[in-house]
Amino acid sequence: MAGQAPILDEFLGGLAVQIQNRDGAKLQDFLQIEPPLSDAYQRMIQELRERYPAGPQSDSGLLQRCEALVPRTKGGSSWTAFPTFMKLYFTFLRDVNTDNLLDTYNQLKGLLNQCVLALGDSQMGVIVLPTVLYLSKVLAKLAMGLDRRPELIAHILRMEGAMDNDESIEKVTLVEQSANVVREAFIKCLTDRTGTPGPQGKPEGKRVGIYLMANLCLKLLFQCGKLRNAEQMFASISAQSPPLAHFPASQRVTYLYYLGRYLFSNNLFYPALIALQAAYDQCHRQAISQRHLILAYLIPCNIIMGRFPSRKLLQRPEASGLTDKFEQLCRLIVRGDYIAFREYLSPSSPAAEWFARKGILLTLRNRCEIMVWRSFCRKVFIHGGFHGDLQAPAQRGPPPYLYLEKLTIATRWLQSQHGQTQRSNGVNNATSKFHFYGSQIIPESTDPDFGGLDGSETPTAQQLLEKYGDYLAPDGFFDGGGHWQDNMPGQLIDGNPGADYDAFELNPYAEATEDGPDADKQSLLMDEVESILASLLTQGLMRGYLTHRNPRFAIPGSRVRGALPTGFPNIWETIFAREREDDSVPGWVRPPPPGALGAGGGRVVNLSGARPVGVQ
Amino acid sequence: MSNSTQSQTKADASEQPQQQQKPQVLEEDDEFEDFPVEDWPQEEAEQTAGSAANGGNEHLWEESWDDDDAAEDFSKQLREELKKVEASH
Repeated sequence: MAGQAPILDEFLGGLAVQIQNRDGAKLQDFLQIEPPLSDAYQRMIQELRERYPAGPQSDSGLLQRCEALVPRTKGGSSWTAFPTFMKLYFTFLRDVNTDNLLDTYNQLKGLLNQCVLALGDSQMGVIVLPTVLYLSKVLAKLAMGLDRRPELIAHILRMEGAMDNDESIEKVTLVEQSANVVREAFIKCLTDRTGTPGPQGKPEGKRVGIYLMANLCLKLLFQCGKLRNAEQMFASISAQSPPLAHFPASQRVTYLYYLGRYLFSNNLFYPALIALQAAYDQCHRQAISQRHLILAYLIPCNIIMGRFPSRKLLQRPEASGLTDKFEQLCRLIVRGDYIAFREYLSPSSPAAEWFARKGILLTLRNRCEIMVWRSFCRKVFIHGGFHGDLQAPAQRGPPPYLYLEKLTIATRWLQSQHGQTQRSNGVNNATSKFHFYGSQIIPESTDPDFGGLDGSETPTAQQLLEKYGDYLAPDGFFDGGGHWQDNMPGQLIDGNPGADYDAFELNPYAEATEDGPDADKQSLLMDEVESILASLLTQGLMRGYLTHRNPRFAIPGSRVRGALPTGFPNIWETIFAREREDDSVPGWVRPPPPGALGAGGGRVVNLSGARPVGVQ
Repeated sequence: MSNSTQSQTKADASEQPQQQQKPQVLEEDDEFEDFPVEDWPQEEAEQTAGSAANGGNEHLWEESWDDDDAAEDFSKQLREELKKVEASH
């Protein structure tokens, strides 16, 4: 075709060769979009603008030229998605305007979408797999960049927001949108039927892209906090993917990292531990930043299961930055000071922000406190318990025990210790005092809104007005007929709030006892201590039994091993013994055990779906 | 600050003084970066050549951490307190 732009010609010619050779890597190399683009691309863009300026006519002209790229079969071109993708590629290069990054994003997403459609072709699709991966990465980078620097498109969103203000529709962030496109590509890879599909197969055809696409999708889902959307992905991988071991180390490690984090956030700590430990073990030793991130989740996983990082581990270069955070946490668990533990992970603590950013704060807070209580009980038993009469003949004499009253005494003491430091720090909080509301073991309210409840006097109307004036005495109100009534400043709409509430029981923990308030406050704390111990016993973190009348914790059967090891068994051993029975990790496809693939012998065939011959 | 990582296909990319790759220093720490190489043998994942095979012989986890040191401050104070109460009973 005389007069055609030479560079574009050359470019299309080159593309045609790669398609003929089915060389996906080279094809991707041709289809650059990320700046800085080389000179040749700049000239091609210039040509595109001259020869095919934006408009329907030149677009169809472009499409025609792209259609020539695809081998024709008898019934016409069979891979129609590809020419459309190529046309979009050229118009993207020609039209993209990075002053409007939102437009850029949308155009890029459209381009990737079309490429994923091209990927769907059962014969030719695999050729664009590297291109899909490349475009996905560029899109992900752009989406995550915009997510972190929303000011870059804030003005555009504001303009569009004026037209689209429907609050009832859930906003899907750019990152989540990208994840959705990438997931489409992932599904195309996973469901490729060439060769031997399924868990027995090898990664061939599009299946080589399963974990590349899955990892990118997971990265995006973690970024936008939509972990739940990953569940279906893991389920489909479990059902259809070849074993992870057949894929390259970089893909394995990345996948196991995300899988481990996902399991961790679902409170499946043992499977998470297996996945993260495998990620750590297989990670290249020089990949410090990746090893660091794996450790940031592997360590809490182990702590929650009762196993602490060793000095050796914390001295490794990848542990730098983690050491002090986790060491202090472990120290507090060992010490048994539950108040210091709570303070360490409370919103006002500097460490809490770091834990929260990693997404492990609440899990640690919820899961580790029980271990702190175990240490506390253990120490009280050591220093205040009856350890058994070692001289007495077997079967004689009571088993070792601990009066729970000692625990309540120790709890009050601990509270007073912290109360003292707080008072000396200028915090006026009589923590060792009895609380009228809420828990007896927690020295301060969990929510500052309930902070004043323990005040012994009823607040005066003046105090109430100062605090809740906007509610008690607003500027106006709607009367029974729905008409607006102005209100005098300071006038209480519903009358005096200092009214007498004696007739109402405001304390949810109130339980009238005949022994008077003193006995009451003792029994409240005792109730809580008993329930904590019961929880420890149920979880197997302590062994023995409780007596309720004359409250004691008794440790029978301790003659051989001793009271401490019997009553306070090793946490890791206890949990591990329970968990190890099932070491499958949902989402991790492992090769079938050797022999299972043999010729029928010993192979389990599931016949649950089989029907007798002849039955319709 | 450059907005270069976001500026895909910027026509005048060559005019930008520098392609700044990491504008989000604060969050960089949290992103699981792509590995520079695709695959490696297991030996390159081990910490030291000597501790290969079983995931390293190095002692990485403490399973027994219970504190029986009666001389430690917290234990000492707790013991004093329990004694004091016992005496007053």
